[in-house]
Amino acid sequence: MAIEPDDKLEDEFERELRQAFARRPAPPSLKRRLMERGVLKMKRTVPVERSFVTWQRLAASVALTAALAGGVQWRIIDQRRKEEAARAQVFLALRITSHALNQMNARLAAHHRGGQD
Amino acid sequence: MAHNWQPDFEQLVDQHQSMVFSIALRMTGDRGLAEEIAQDVFMEMDRNLTRLESPAHACFWLRRVAVNRSADALRRRKVRGIDLWVEMEDVHGASPEDRGSPLSTRLEQLLAKLPEAQRAALVLRYQEDLTPEEIAATLEAPLATVKSHLQRGLKLLRAKAQSHLKEFVRGN
Repeated sequence: MAIEPDDKLEDEFERELRQAFARRPAPPSLKRRLMERGVLKMKRTVPVERSFVTWQRLAASVALTAALAGGVQWRIIDQRRKEEAARAQVFLALRITSHALNQMNARLAAHHRGGQD
Repeated sequence: MAHNWQPDFEQLVDQHQSMVFSIALRMTGDRGLAEEIAQDVFMEMDRNLTRLESPAHACFWLRRVAVNRSADALRRRKVRGIDLWVEMEDVHGASPEDRGSPLSTRLEQLLAKLPEAQRAALVLRYQEDLTPEEIAATLEAPLATVKSHLQRGLKLLRAKAQSHLKEFVRGN
């Protein structure tokens, strides 16, 4: 787009200006100097370190959660096992008591029968 | 303002170092100073990386800061009384392919003789191919002022080119 599209010469001059003002390549030392100042190097390493720390944290969290869940599960199973054992002992005691009471009842019945005769 | 774009500093340097260096070179005419300015611009971009919202915003930001830093450098040189323009033939550290064509070099020399505001407008217009509206936004200047700088700068440059570059400009 010409600024002053008055004549052909101006357009041509502007075209030549555009060609003459093409971007020049930056010297390689520019990037090297930025690297020396630590800007580029930092940008490359920081995300890698950050991601490593993130993975470490994630792995530690997973391990800790698994250990806690395992501990809780073990406590629940142990509690159930103790409850089952206690229940079995109570049933055994009840069976023994019932047996003893039955024997006692039979003896009393026999004693009553002997007294009536 | 929330934005999802994650700027990659090294990628931005690779993408825009030529643009930033060329703006600084054409504003100052000194390769060494242009390289220093480009370095400062990228260092500043590194500090402001989180503020960049998109690739287009990064490009716009780099253009504006490159022009501003070049103007600052020219003012500092003026205060110190150093000659503003280093002859393009005497460029230090430039390989022959980096120096550009003889016409390009001569036009850059003539450009350097224009006032700073006109030079900035012409560089953004003909190097970066920006519209007057985009130049006004980059330079944070009124559109009418930018159009005036472009017209006057182009007129001056054409007049200088017609008297100095008859061998290059056709139609004379």
